[in-house]
Amino acid sequence: MAELRLARRSSFLPLTGLMCVLLLVFVSVASASRDVVSENNETWRGPAGETRGDSHNQTNSTAHKKAFPVLSFNYEHVRKPFEISLWILLALLMKLGFHIIPGVQNIVPESCLLIGVGLLVGGIIKAIGEEAPVLDTKLFFLYLLPPIILDAGYFLPIRPFTENMGTILVFAVVGTLWNTFFIGGMIYGVCRIEGGQLASVDPLSCLLFGTIVSAVDPVAVLAVFEEIHINELLHILVFGESLLNDAVTVVLYHLFEEFTHAGTVTVVDAILGVVCFFVVSLGGILVGAIYGILGAFTSRFTSHTRVIEPLFVFLYSYMAYLSAEVFHLSGIMSLIACGVVMRPYVEANVSHKSYTTIKYFLKMWSSVSETLIFIFLGVSTVAGPHAWNWTFVIVTVVLCLVSRVLGVIGLTYIINKFRIVKLTKKDQFIVAYGGLRGAIAFSLGFLLTNSEMKNMFLTAIITVIFFTVIVQGMTIRPLVDLLAVKKKKESKRSINEEIHTQFLDHLLTGIEDICGHYGHHHWKDKLNRFNKAYVKKWLIAGERSTEPQLISFYNKMEMKQAMMLVESGSTAQLPTIVSSVSMQNIKPRGPARQRAIPSISKSREQEIRKILRANLQKTRQRLRSYSRHDLMIDPFEDNVSEVRFRRQRVEMERRMSHYLTVPANRQETPPVRKVCFESEHKVYTYDDSKSPRGWTAEPDPSPPDAVSLLNESSQRANQSSEHRAKHNDELRAKVPDEKEEQDQLKLSRCLSDPGPNKEEDLS
Amino acid sequence: MGFNGTSPLLDQRGELRPEDFGAIRELSMNPIGDRIISAFFSPGKETVDFASFVRILAHFHPTETSRSRDGVQPEPANSRTRKLKFAFQLYDQDRDGKISREELLQVLRTMLEMQVTEEQLQSIAERAIQEADLDQDDAISFDEFRKSLEKVDIDHKMSIRFLS
Repeated sequence: MAELRLARRSSFLPLTGLMCVLLLVFVSVASASRDVVSENNETWRGPAGETRGDSHNQTNSTAHKKAFPVLSFNYEHVRKPFEISLWILLALLMKLGFHIIPGVQNIVPESCLLIGVGLLVGGIIKAIGEEAPVLDTKLFFLYLLPPIILDAGYFLPIRPFTENMGTILVFAVVGTLWNTFFIGGMIYGVCRIEGGQLASVDPLSCLLFGTIVSAVDPVAVLAVFEEIHINELLHILVFGESLLNDAVTVVLYHLFEEFTHAGTVTVVDAILGVVCFFVVSLGGILVGAIYGILGAFTSRFTSHTRVIEPLFVFLYSYMAYLSAEVFHLSGIMSLIACGVVMRPYVEANVSHKSYTTIKYFLKMWSSVSETLIFIFLGVSTVAGPHAWNWTFVIVTVVLCLVSRVLGVIGLTYIINKFRIVKLTKKDQFIVAYGGLRGAIAFSLGFLLTNSEMKNMFLTAIITVIFFTVIVQGMTIRPLVDLLAVKKKKESKRSINEEIHTQFLDHLLTGIEDICGHYGHHHWKDKLNRFNKAYVKKWLIAGERSTEPQLISFYNKMEMKQAMMLVESGSTAQLPTIVSSVSMQNIKPRGPARQRAIPSISKSREQEIRKILRANLQKTRQRLRSYSRHDLMIDPFEDNVSEVRFRRQRVEMERRMSHYLTVPANRQETPPVRKVCFESEHKVYTYDDSKSPRGWTAEPDPSPPDAVSLLNESSQRANQSSEHRAKHNDELRAKVPDEKEEQDQLKLSRCLSDPGPNKEEDLS
Repeated sequence: MGFNGTSPLLDQRGELRPEDFGAIRELSMNPIGDRIISAFFSPGKETVDFASFVRILAHFHPTETSRSRDGVQPEPANSRTRKLKFAFQLYDQDRDGKISREELLQVLRTMLEMQVTEEQLQSIAERAIQEADLDQDDAISFDEFRKSLEKVDIDHKMSIRFLS
């Protein structure tokens, strides 16, 4: 049955896609048959068509009096949005199709497929004789690129990024410079030698071309690397490089552009160029940081208007990008800086629903953008004017590869002298092979004004892009497997790791202080102190400003556990009271527990539910994945309150009986994993987990403690029913007390032991 | 700054006392500063001479992965295990080979200073021990410690560049 459905679906989608394509074609035809409308030329290359038979496109204005039209057709009215929506819909349907058709995505990366689709659509449109929309530079840089970069910047893994900052900068700046001059110079040499059509190419144009074609593209890198899941270090190296080389590219591009117009180059110009580089990059970062702080500050006050919180994040970031572009600063770096600066504070301030919204919207927009970019790349390839020159193109492709390899090897040799963890040959190969070019190169090429060379350059650029994305993109996955490159370790951060990592941070800072060496840890520590002392107070609302990182991490883990509980188990499974997160080897016992679940009255339930729901707004989850397609399971669905409620119910009962019956043997104390929200209610949690750890430990002969636990628990279970009623009343009485008490509990997420003394009151 | 200012002292006496460490300003701000200081001194001794000082610092030498381990050489001071052992000893003040709950609590208390309540600390410590404690003895032994840190790149983290 499922296969039938699948088959039907997989045949359904291409059909829909085909219908979309046909619809698009129809639209293009229809649009060609009217007079040029000026507004449409902006984003779409409006067809300069002549009026054809347009009977069905007339608005209802004729000379003679007709009967009142019941149904009329007015396409012009909605043309632009209609076309845009249709394109996006097509893109998304294609994307959907690729994921449904089994097996395809293991061989071919999605970007290649999308380019293929673009080629197809472009071909169809061209065959019909219409002009296809081209990847307009403005469209690309203002609408399609920012979401991708924002998504990348907001979820940038900060720790590996800053740890490898030196390496990344060297690759980005020096590497791009090397690529530019090497390619530009060699191309010029080849043109000189070759003569003929190429003789008229001047050195500055060559250098300009080198600039455009040498920049590693973040979009392409993201698209390909995401699917191969290599280890964090390599990912951040290539990706960081692709982000940071934007500054270099911008400067060089404008530099050479100016020079080609000016005609001559002086030393002063060269020095100004260097200065310009610093201005562009640092200025971009500064602009981004300012907007980031503004965004963080704004989010401090949004506690009453939660629904517009995500918008602030998006708008401030977009403004940062646009503002940087106004001054010809590096928009990408500005966007990255804004996201990085804003994120810790915004995350502390916004509700978790807003956080989820931000996350999903960013992923959504960047996904759409990426898809559109690749499709348009395909379409533009078919549409654009081409001037194919075998020598030029082949030489360009070869040179790109060669210069990349040489650059990486040379730079790594130098870098390894300064790195603690050296880059191996395998790493170097992946870094070199991962230098993909993409749509940025294409758009920059499109901006070229020198039309005689432009077509030839454009053709070469497109060829390079195709080569890198398709050939390198397709082969990188088998190569990664072949070379046995370390893959990304999917690991759950444990509280131990967090504690020990912080401890080691302090230790290393101390040692550095002893040595008098102001190293990485020293500055990080200083930054943290500054952050804690001054910045957090301003940018984070309320009491969260004093919450240490460890606590928020702990809370996050608690919530995650709660979610694991609800995702994995039914109520019957819940009462595995004493098992801990991952390393428990006491077998959960189902049947004995079932008796332990009390039933609480309906009104109590409602109250609890209400309280939980109200307070769940405040908790956080830190996202650690920067992948586009596989978001970590977001536990904050609506059933979280269910979980809380269930867990708490059982915990309550258990703790009741525990305090009444069990002697103070620490071992039997259920793990004190309690999360109490602002609510007066003692929300107990405990862990249950289906982690393999817990299960594989089953066959072990249980330690004697476990045996006694079994006995204890059944004892407890018996006890529990007795005290159930008492407990309920007690709980009711307790609520008003705890209301006052809660004010004294400092933080909203306090992990408070409910306090044995309260329980003992019962006995 | 570090010990540059106190090197005359070093020359004079040839050894360091805890007060000399205390003179370093940043170290006194460090939450675990006193633990670090005491790590330099062997138990019972009041001074540390230059050789021991360097020996301790040698733990933070970047690991050389290319060195072949033929098993005959004594394990180098900067190997991953030795680094972890050093860190472990900072937790384990009473040197019984295990990090008990109390010791963990103390560390957490100093790291988190005044910002959390006692119950929170208890919960965190409880959970940490639950996670790491494999043999159920309610304390973290060195092996368990090492295991819980297996995903962290200790070689990178516990190395100071300039020492190479």
